[in-house]
Amino acid sequence: MSGAHRLAQIPPGVQCFVGDEARRRRRIEETVLSIFEGWDYEEIIPPLFDYADVFAGEALSSKTYSFVGRDGSILALRPDFTSLLAKIAAGRLRDRPAPIRLYYSGEVVRYEPPRAGRQSELFQMGLEHLGGESRAADAEVLTIAAECLEGLGAEGFVLALGHVGVFTGLLAGSGIEGDRLEGLRERVEAKDARGVGRALARIDLAPGARGALERLTTLAGGLDVLDEATQALAGCPAAASAVAELRAVAEAVRAAGLGSRLAVDLGEVRGLDYYTGLVFRAFVPGLGFEVGGGGRYDTLLARFGRPLPAVGFMLGLDRVALLLARQGGAPVSSSSPAEVVTGTDLGAALGVARAKRAAGTRVRFGNGGGR
Amino acid sequence: MSLTVALSKGKLLRGTRELFRRAGLPFPDGKSRRLVVSEGDLRFLFVKDMDVPTYVEYGVADCGIAGRDVLLEVGSDVLEPLDLGFGHCRLQVARPAGSDFSPDGASTVRVASKYARVAAEHFLGRGLSVEVVKLAGSVEIAPGLGLADCIVDVVETGRTLKENGLEVIETVAESSARLVVNRASFHARREEVARLVDTLGRALP
Repeated sequence: MSGAHRLAQIPPGVQCFVGDEARRRRRIEETVLSIFEGWDYEEIIPPLFDYADVFAGEALSSKTYSFVGRDGSILALRPDFTSLLAKIAAGRLRDRPAPIRLYYSGEVVRYEPPRAGRQSELFQMGLEHLGGESRAADAEVLTIAAECLEGLGAEGFVLALGHVGVFTGLLAGSGIEGDRLEGLRERVEAKDARGVGRALARIDLAPGARGALERLTTLAGGLDVLDEATQALAGCPAAASAVAELRAVAEAVRAAGLGSRLAVDLGEVRGLDYYTGLVFRAFVPGLGFEVGGGGRYDTLLARFGRPLPAVGFMLGLDRVALLLARQGGAPVSSSSPAEVVTGTDLGAALGVARAKRAAGTRVRFGNGGGR
Repeated sequence: MSLTVALSKGKLLRGTRELFRRAGLPFPDGKSRRLVVSEGDLRFLFVKDMDVPTYVEYGVADCGIAGRDVLLEVGSDVLEPLDLGFGHCRLQVARPAGSDFSPDGASTVRVASKYARVAAEHFLGRGLSVEVVKLAGSVEIAPGLGLADCIVDVVETGRTLKENGLEVIETVAESSARLVVNRASFHARREEVARLVDTLGRALP
């Protein structure tokens, strides 16, 4: 590939935004961040790169852009914010009493081919609620997520709630791990009941657990699914208590007036090495993939030496922008055309422009002409 | 707004039409060459079989019907709530009949396939080095012409293999037609999707 070619070409996975597109993204960011501020979350601007170890974890490490620092240490461009915020909460904010409410907004990079509204460079806006009582924190985060989607005008959005404890509870003591666990998890996640049955062949399970795992593929729908789940999982105390936790959170959010926005999906079993309780994804009609999501991760902070339970939520700005462009919301052009200021005396013209600026007018300085 | 269903005009079409008839659902009569057809309260898209999961993953179609073989190859993140019980076939490894080729004995397995990803994973997964020759069709002639040592392909009756002088040595996966559903549609258009899944599920033999 010639040098000249590279000067024109954009590497796959990154984007550039111009004019109205850029303006739309800023508006989205302002809307969301003002909601985060409104719930008394505090902004953190973490570093762009950190030691690669900070981002350990199977799912991320294979997608991390890492490089060797001048001193020989392995560094990585941030593939997510949560690890960085956890590190900061356990380090610099170690004396701050819990609960700690933090938010972030910015780019992360992941080595992933562009697919389904995702590039290698992603813009994430999210928050983390560290410490505090779990049920209240979960309900708070779901409520904020709903307010963000309402504030953005995402019509018909749904928050689909699950709890990884249902799946892990049913598998307790089975000894299933590695590729077989991943194969099973993937079939549950695909809601393929027969596939789950096949993946469970030749695995020792507590009585009733096999049928219950197959049932997870159909325990999805409205909040009434929780009643069905309570009955279906009664034989497994660990799974039943996960459903009870989820129900308590869902009930609170419903009582706050968001019942029509909630769905239940007990086949939601992503990120088992990371999430420990509630998991959720936000869906909006007209976009085939989630606009955001989150969940509870009670073990991450212990890695950084401050064991605090935690729950977080993240919206993908790229996907929100795609959604709003598709839903055809109001155009995001700038409000008023600029007033042209010009004159033969450069200094005097600049003075006029300054005076107009001081009065808040949008000005286009007309002197100088371009090439 | 009606639900959109992605279908292929390939080998699953007949089974799909029969299933929709049994379920009492509308289905296009197939006389038209249009690729987007509204019928009753459903909208149908006719696309290449390998593209069905992509249309569904992106939410351009709310659901679709695709073989498990295609789903394995494309690797899309879609829901697969129903095994529709038709279109049974196997993804298998075949070599020239009577040859002594064995994947485990080869320094590099040279395999020709339309299913490049499935073929690669099958051999890489057991620690073998693999070179995939990706073809769009007529895969059966590749070993005889020296393009590859073996093939990975869909086998229904085995007749095509036999006529081209090949024999099956391994099975990679079993396949049948699946109903696939977009993740967002499943929740954001819950009632309509649930009704369709339910209607099709009750019409299964």
